[in-house]
Amino acid sequence: MIEVENIVRDFGAFRAVDGVSFTVEPGEVVGLLGPNGAGKTTTLRVLAGLLRPASGVTRIGGVDVQVEPLQARRQLGFLTASTGLYDRLTGREMLQTFGRLQRLDEQTLSSRIAALSEELELNAFLDKRCGSLSSGQKQRVNIARAVVHDPSAYVLDEPTATLDPLASRDILELVQRAKARHKAVLFSTHRMEEAEYLCDRLLFMRGGQIVARGTSTELLTLSGKQKLTDAFLHFAGATA
Amino acid sequence: MKPAWRILLGKELLDVARDRRTLVLTVLLPVLLYPGILLLMGAIVAAGTQRLKNEPLVVAVVGQATAELLARKPVPEKTTFQAQARAEAERLLRDQQIAALVEAPQNAAAELEAGRQVVVTILYTKRFDRSVEALDRLRPVLESINTDALELRLEARQLEPGFVQPVKADAVDLEFQKDLGPLIASRLLPIVLLMMLILGALYPAVDLTAGEKERGTLETLLVSGARPVDVMAAKYLTVSAVAVVTALANLAAMAATFGFGLSFGGKATTTFQLSGGQMLTMLACLVPAALLLAGVSLTVASTARTFKEGQSLMSPLMLVCLAPALLSQMPGVELNNLTALIPLLNVALLIKASVLGNATLTQVVLTMGSVLLFALIALKVAAKAFNSEVFRFGGTEGWRALFGESKSAARQSKHR
Repeated sequence: MIEVENIVRDFGAFRAVDGVSFTVEPGEVVGLLGPNGAGKTTTLRVLAGLLRPASGVTRIGGVDVQVEPLQARRQLGFLTASTGLYDRLTGREMLQTFGRLQRLDEQTLSSRIAALSEELELNAFLDKRCGSLSSGQKQRVNIARAVVHDPSAYVLDEPTATLDPLASRDILELVQRAKARHKAVLFSTHRMEEAEYLCDRLLFMRGGQIVARGTSTELLTLSGKQKLTDAFLHFAGATA
Repeated sequence: MKPAWRILLGKELLDVARDRRTLVLTVLLPVLLYPGILLLMGAIVAAGTQRLKNEPLVVAVVGQATAELLARKPVPEKTTFQAQARAEAERLLRDQQIAALVEAPQNAAAELEAGRQVVVTILYTKRFDRSVEALDRLRPVLESINTDALELRLEARQLEPGFVQPVKADAVDLEFQKDLGPLIASRLLPIVLLMMLILGALYPAVDLTAGEKERGTLETLLVSGARPVDVMAAKYLTVSAVAVVTALANLAAMAATFGFGLSFGGKATTTFQLSGGQMLTMLACLVPAALLLAGVSLTVASTARTFKEGQSLMSPLMLVCLAPALLSQMPGVELNNLTALIPLLNVALLIKASVLGNATLTQVVLTMGSVLLFALIALKVAAKAFNSEVFRFGGTEGWRALFGESKSAARQSKHR
């Protein structure tokens, strides 16, 4: 379960996140939408413990991220468009390193790598250096890296932003599998069709605050629009 | 189960060992380039000197008296004396058509007979090497004429040769009379070793911080099961290790080159064997210096957002770090109990003193202690940098935020 309670984060005089609260239950996929600069990435970085909030509390699996960041991260799979791989390491070496950092014993780690290789079809290139992989192959290794420790919560920040439809499909399948396994998934995206297809609930952010929340049907009703893209523009303050 | 910093250290070392640029910088450059440059330099100098020795030179002889004076001795090898008027000879010298001109007074022979001094002018220029070589060939001729004339005068007065020079200074350099190796090594090693130590630290520091930020791998690390201090420790040890390996590879390459021996033509040869004690002394200062430079370079590089930005930050840092090495070569700057406390200058001076065999145990201990103390301070600042959000995301708050963040973080914690 992901819990965010009234978090505030400033950058100098600029308030990037202003009193944001929400929860993501196990088996639920929640979409975080909003225009650029709305505060989505800052919210997710606070949730991952990469940024300290000025106030508020974030918990993953009941563990306070600010108080026990390592314990919290052991339950977190974090993937963004910008999280990179080490070009000079092989996919297997990446998974071994990050699995060990998550305190997996060697036996569990081996079986996790084997399972993920099967599930994400990594076998053909798992022992090649990441620098020689295609962007789609890299993305699959990155997914495996993020979930090698089988976390209970996934935080995905625009993970499909730089991917072609084929590579994006891997991400969407990951989210669907996670939901089926009762993982709590927080998914930030600019692609409305992805949000509509995957998410049980949507949170719409603007100016550091959540200005609308609900299912896609509820947001369409609330905005009075027929399409989610138009609802996006409505909540973003632009005319549809 | 291994602690996180050891897992990360293994990963960092594997990554660095597969980095061709680092390998070139740490191993290939010192092992091939520096001995190659030194050997080539020696060969070029020797060949140039030999070429000048064999070059036919024309020297203008102004006036009959000069010709008669010079005729007392054989003409130097590969040299032609050519009678010329003074003005024409000067013009030819300026046009580099002759190498020098010699002019003695009209009454030179009579003056010599009368027991007086004759001043012989050799006009030459340092603007071209052939002219300097001509001077080198003419001097022994005139000195020989001088010796002959002096002997005649002493004989006539029945005096001993020592009469004209009652006291003669004979300066003999005990160590370097025949071999310039230790002298050259004491000049080269402090600069080369410190420079390579700095290069060995700066490049991986930028790559492992700003480079990782740019490639997105730092964020990947920071959301893993490692604390920022684990990430920092692994990077710190990796940068230190690369710096030490670089310095050692350079030391070994230099030692091998000097041991093999260099020839700079003529009598100038250099051979120099580093003893086990000297190697240990150098290691005793190079390893702490690597720790210090790793801390400083990681701190500075961590404030950059891209590899390019990191490199631009490193240029002034390199100059600051290299200055002590250059200062160590200034006259009068020596290792003593005071200079042994100044970081990096003490390292350069200790290397110099070690080569010359002047280093004392107290100075070694003071140097090590001083550098280790500054290394600890650098490590503490680096640790603070790695806990900082400026380091993680290269924020716009800059250095003030880096050093003041603990207080603001503490304030923020109170509000929560």
